[in-house]
Formats: sequence, structure tokens, C-alpha cells
Amino acid sequence: MSLRVRLLGTIIGAIVLFFLISVIAARLVLQHDLLALGETEVTNGAGAFGGYWDSHKDQIKLLVSQDAVSDSLRKNLESKNVGAMRKQLANIARTSGLSFLTIVDGSGKVVARANGPQPGTLAQNSLVKRALTGETVSTATLLGPVVLAGEGLVSQAQADIKGPDGKSVAQTNQGLALVAAAPISDQNERTIGAIYGGILLNHEFTTNGYYDLIDQAAHSLGGASAILEGNAIVASTIMRDDGTRAVDVQVPAADAVLKNGQPYTGPDTEGGTQYLVHIDPVQSDQNKTIGARWYGVPMTQITSIINHTTQTLVLWGLLAMVIALALAIPIVQAISNTLAKRSQQVRAAAKELGVVIVGAEVSGDHIAQTKAAVEKSGALIAEIQAGAPSPKMSELRAVNDELEGDVIVIDTLSQEMSGRMQQAVHRVAELNDVAGGLNELVTGEKN
Amino acid sequence: MADVVLFFASNADTMIATKALKDSGITAKMIPKPANVTSSANLCLSIEAGSVEPAKSALGTAGIALGGVV
Repeated sequence: MSLRVRLLGTIIGAIVLFFLISVIAARLVLQHDLLALGETEVTNGAGAFGGYWDSHKDQIKLLVSQDAVSDSLRKNLESKNVGAMRKQLANIARTSGLSFLTIVDGSGKVVARANGPQPGTLAQNSLVKRALTGETVSTATLLGPVVLAGEGLVSQAQADIKGPDGKSVAQTNQGLALVAAAPISDQNERTIGAIYGGILLNHEFTTNGYYDLIDQAAHSLGGASAILEGNAIVASTIMRDDGTRAVDVQVPAADAVLKNGQPYTGPDTEGGTQYLVHIDPVQSDQNKTIGARWYGVPMTQITSIINHTTQTLVLWGLLAMVIALALAIPIVQAISNTLAKRSQQVRAAAKELGVVIVGAEVSGDHIAQTKAAVEKSGALIAEIQAGAPSPKMSELRAVNDELEGDVIVIDTLSQEMSGRMQQAVHRVAELNDVAGGLNELVTGEKN
Repeated sequence: MADVVLFFASNADTMIATKALKDSGITAKMIPKPANVTSSANLCLSIEAGSVEPAKSALGTAGIALGGVV
């Protein structure tokens, strides 16, 4: 693998690593912070939803209280004019959006209903009992089958409750309602009866085509809202994939709320959509948890921000990588070229040194031969002079001795240089290895 | 002509001294070490007697240690 590939790979790797860590860190931080923000948002939204709930309860209380002091109703009650009362109650219920409105006499026996002529008694109803004692009360409550039958609301409340897997797990024949009861007094302030009315929240589909309370809350607050009877949704703005509302399904996350009476904030999947939800308990006038208010925002609102941020980071990362590569490639190329050039220079120098070494070795051999010849020449001169001495021969011997001295010097120098050359041989071999390594590093080629 | 021998610690010093003296304009002849000289080097330098002091100065300038003068 060549140096430039390694360098560019390192740069790309560093950028990729940097952005991977950045993206993971950003995702983790965003997930944590946005979930915390989302929990705050749904908690606040649920608080506002609770405000709508209380507002509706107060509105019902006000309506019932106003009806309780109606002169015409009082007179009709005193005169037992059931037909007139029934007609008046029906008009009030229709115009006020009440699901039922009923008048009982002082013993709790039903005198007239807005929804029909069914007889009956509400003497055992705790709210009516309190109203007959002169107290005006309003609360959320569960209406039993008998009360619902009397008010003609059985079909609105009845439902098959399905589990999260879509299978039927239970049937309900009672209903969750916001109700109010107020005493009706005669002119002497003597309680002669009570008026009892409210809104059944199960499948409360108004003539305007919407679920009054939950649609109003969801419209104002955004997100989705639902009302739970027990742990089952009985009214909601949660839309399924097929466009229908998710109702009559259990919400396992509400079990703990019903058990402990404490709110729940966290994830919940309803109608095929994951929500971040806040579930508040709904309590009766006896402080018994009978249902819950569910408010949530789709988790996609949070995850889409995380995904968008991640995508943006990745895109910017790619852009940074392209810019970094555009800058790095010429630099890496220049470094590689410089190294390759130096490598070639070292190899060329090593090659030249190799020639010098060979030349020195050859020269050394030649000097040794010259020395041997001069020594042989000296021996011959000495032999001739011994047989026939002459001044010329003496002069020749002196010249030969000087020549031999010079040859000895040259031979000594040659041997000295030979020793140095041996060391140079090792150095050149090392240089050659370095040059080869540099070449391989730069070009990736072995030779 | 040459009547003074300069010797050094090694043959390498002898070679470097030859070059230093030559650069200083002093004629020096490299010769085999005479028998009466005790040195680890096999080579010596022969110079004229009158050039000893300039030679010592040149060698000192070049930083070459002189083994001795015979």
C-alpha cells in the first residue's frame, strides 16, 4: 500500500471517525435533551388538558345549578307536570350538549328525564343524596348499567375492550361521565327534589361531528388526547392507520396510574403510533381512581428532529470530507513526490558508491601487483650489483629503493582505504535498504 | 632535502595531515615508518627541517595531533 493511499486513508478515517463520534454524541445528547423537553411538553399539555376537563366539569355544574333555580322547572315539579318537565329537560340537554338531565323528587325517585319516560330511582346515588341535602356537587363518576339504562345511554357506553394485540379482552357496560347534581328548592327554600345531569364521555360523538372535550383540547394543544375508563380508552383523538379513532383499547401504561393514583410520563404506542405521553388519574368524588386522561405527542416529532440533525451532520461531514480531500490530495501528492525524489537520489548515490567500492578493490589488487614487481626488481638489481658493482647500478638501486618506498606508502594507503571501504560497504547497504524502504513506502512497490 | 620525520597516531591522521600541510603550502612526502620511530601508524611524513614550525602551526590549526618529530 503506497504512502499516499495510507495518508489519504488516514485523513478519511480520521474524518469518518470524527463524524461518527460526533453523530453518536449528538444523537445521544439530542435524545436525552429532547426527551426531557418532550416530557415537559406533554406534562404541560396534560396540565392544559386537565384545565379543559375542569372547565367542562365546572360548566356542567353551572348548567345544572342554573337549571336547579329555574322557576318553570320548580313550578312544574311542584305541580308534577311531568310532560312539561320532560320537554324542558330535553331542550336544555340538547342545547347544552348534556348527555342526560334528570329530575328526582325529594325521595330520589325519578320524576322526569330528558331522554325519555323511563321510571326509576336515584335514591342510592351518592351525588343525588348529597344534592337532596342541599349541596351542589360535580365530579367525574362511573355510571352503572342501571343508571345508563334509565337514561337510555347503554348503547353509547357498551363496548368490547381490546387488548394491545387487538383481541377482545373484556366488555364494559358502564360509562365514565362528568356529572353534577343540585338541589331544587321551593319558595321557602325547602328542598323538594334535585336535578342530576352530565356528559357521558364514552364515544361522546356530538352532532357537530367531533368529540367535544378531547377534540377541543387536541385542537388547542396539538398532539393527541384520550379519556380512559379504567385502563381502556373510551374516547380519543388518536387516529389509526385506517383513519378511524383508536377507542375501546387497553392502555397497559395506565395500569400503574390506576393502581397508584400517580401520573405516568413516558412512551406509549396507540393506534400503531408511538407517543410520548402523560397520563393523569381521574378520580371520583370519593377520591377513587376510576379512569385517566391521556395526552401525548407523536414520538416522531422528537425522532424527526434527531434524524434531521443526524442527516445534517452526516451531510456536512461528507462536505468536510470532500473539502479535506481536495486540500489533502495535492499536499499528499507533493509529500509523496518529494519522498520519491529523495529516495531516487539516495539510490543513485548508493549506486555510485558501489562503483567507487569496486574501483577501490580493483585498484588495491593492482597496487599489490605493482609492489610485488618493484620488490622483484629490487632483488634483481641487488643480485646484479653483487656480481658486478658499478656506480650506475648503485644509482639504479637507490631509485628502486625510493620507488619501493613510494609503493609501500601507496599500498599502505590502499589497505587503509580498503578497510574504510569495507565500512562504507555496510553503510551503502544500509542506505540502499533505507532507499528501498522509502520507495516502497511512497510507491508501494517492492524491489 | 627532507631531513625531519613527523609521525602521527594513525595512518588516517597521517593522510589528513598530508592534506592540511599541502593546503598550507608546505611540501610533505609520505614515507613508510622508519625503524627508529615508535608509532601505531605505518606511514610518516618527511618535511624540510626549516618547515617544522610552520608545519606544527598548520597541524594545530587543522586540529591534528602530532605524534612526534624525529
